[in-house]
Amino acid sequence: MKVLSKAKLETALNKLNQGAEVFLPMQKAQESGFYSWKLFQQGQDELMLDALNVYLPPKHVVLPQTERMYSIKLEGQDMKIEQTFEDASPRVIFGARPCDIKAILCMDEVFLTRGYEDSFYKCRREAITIVANACYQPGPACFCNAMEVNPVEPAGADIIIRDAGEAYVWETKTPKGEALTSQIAEFLEEKSLALPVAQPFIQDVKYEGTAEKLKKMFADHIWAKLGEACHNCGICTYVCPSCYCFDIQVKMWGDEGYRFRCWDSCMYEEYSREAGGGNPRGDGIERFRNRFLHKLEFFKERYGTPLCTGCGRCIVACPAGINIVKIIDEIKEAELHA
Amino acid sequence: MHKCECEQPLVPVIVEVVDIKDETPDIKSFFVKNPGGQGLPFNVAPGQCAMVSYLPVGESMISCTWQEEQEYLQFAIKRVGLMTDELHQIEVGQKIGLRGPYGNGFPVEACKGKDMLFIAGGIGLAPLRSFIKYCFKHREDYGKIKIIYGSRSYADLCFKEELFELWPQQKNTEVFVTIDSAEEVWKGHVGFVPSYLEELNPSPNGVVAVTCGPPIMIKFVLGSLEKMGYTDEQVITTLEMRMKCGIGKCGRCNIGSEYICLDGPVFYLSQLRDLPQEW
Repeated sequence: MKVLSKAKLETALNKLNQGAEVFLPMQKAQESGFYSWKLFQQGQDELMLDALNVYLPPKHVVLPQTERMYSIKLEGQDMKIEQTFEDASPRVIFGARPCDIKAILCMDEVFLTRGYEDSFYKCRREAITIVANACYQPGPACFCNAMEVNPVEPAGADIIIRDAGEAYVWETKTPKGEALTSQIAEFLEEKSLALPVAQPFIQDVKYEGTAEKLKKMFADHIWAKLGEACHNCGICTYVCPSCYCFDIQVKMWGDEGYRFRCWDSCMYEEYSREAGGGNPRGDGIERFRNRFLHKLEFFKERYGTPLCTGCGRCIVACPAGINIVKIIDEIKEAELHA
Repeated sequence: MHKCECEQPLVPVIVEVVDIKDETPDIKSFFVKNPGGQGLPFNVAPGQCAMVSYLPVGESMISCTWQEEQEYLQFAIKRVGLMTDELHQIEVGQKIGLRGPYGNGFPVEACKGKDMLFIAGGIGLAPLRSFIKYCFKHREDYGKIKIIYGSRSYADLCFKEELFELWPQQKNTEVFVTIDSAEEVWKGHVGFVPSYLEELNPSPNGVVAVTCGPPIMIKFVLGSLEKMGYTDEQVITTLEMRMKCGIGKCGRCNIGSEYICLDGPVFYLSQLRDLPQEW
């Protein structure tokens, strides 16, 4: 088997960095997330490939928090769009966990299927190579196995690395992965290492059947109880690897400017507030319900898989202690009122 | 920066506003075509929408109230928010952005051979008008046509010339107009649309009912239709929610797992019964 010795990792990253922007999990001051290797400061920042999940997922690599779309120029009664800003520069997500990759596959469904391909997403996505870091030791908040993710054999990876102590076992899965592997071939060695043994999950989550049951629970009283503590602060949508909802806004300086899109959150009242003042989800509980139904029922109905990948970030981040695992449990246990 | 060769569904084309008509004190019709007056950027079927973009301010999803051959696309737009406020200030010759067409449109083929009952309130007549005018254009394909329309006041009635002169003259067509409260200038019916509908009590036999208006009106109209014996397969409505992308991506216009912009805006009541009651 091919392996990349941990001692050679940083040199290999420097090599990859010449042809692409490489994003990988790191701790920067108080923050942890996927940052560009260019921004890594020796002695201050810490690589976090060993950590299970850093606080922020790599979704900004496929869907930037803000992204310019096109330029706008006004001349009298004339309006011009002179430039669009699709960005297909090569990027690598290095060391993404299987749950985060599954989230990207969910976004692929949204942005690339059902009649329209989003050009901004497509151009960017096609130039992204994903190096997955397989998981053998689930953490206390992890439940990806319940959400149709295989932590050891993740789908959607161009390359899979597996932590075998002194080195990462390196497995190339796709042509894109081969191109990346060939760039750092000089650092890879042939060696036989023992693979880690997959440990059992700490949480036991039974998602099967939840979507079907939820179909009968839209009007159930349970939502008032489940969502009572929710502040609609939106942190769950911010840290979520698969929350992709976006807004489209404009920035003008006099006669010139641009249209851009940016992350939005279904937790906010403005999200679905209409110009005339109406709002189908004006109440916080209605927005809470819509988010969990989207994650656990609607997305599954539309695309065949849930929009939660079991990463556990929202459980850690929620200031009100709302826990999607407990919500799944309560839904499964709830008695249906006819 | 990479030059993109793919289709760009989120980037508008530029069109020119060739005419503007005041419909009511807060509704104007905008007639658009390609800049320089040559044809249209795309065709819009009855009931479909387009994102109308006053570029420096924003975009709004607007139902196209009529496409006249390759002459113009007409959008009747009520002044309600930031974008529509700006749009109401513009003058003929102004260039604006447009992208589309979006949505499924009315089932004009499936309704052939049926009698048609159109029920609208306020600006809700704008989307229905594309279907009504389509029926008149293909008059032999449809049976009797009844149009019930109401607004807050006489001044707020949209498309007055058609309502009072052109449409009543069409073969086998009846137009019933009501306003919410009595006015001196108004000799016609006074009252809300749903109660007028029940008063008129049109038989459901061989009829397809199509309704659009404020959400509260739609709700009561659906109740009235049910009372009058209309089945869920005979009732069609066209919905609206806040939209940003128009192509089923940005998330906000969902009802359950359906997106109004992409899977709608037109739904049979039988389809809506399967979805969460959030419309």
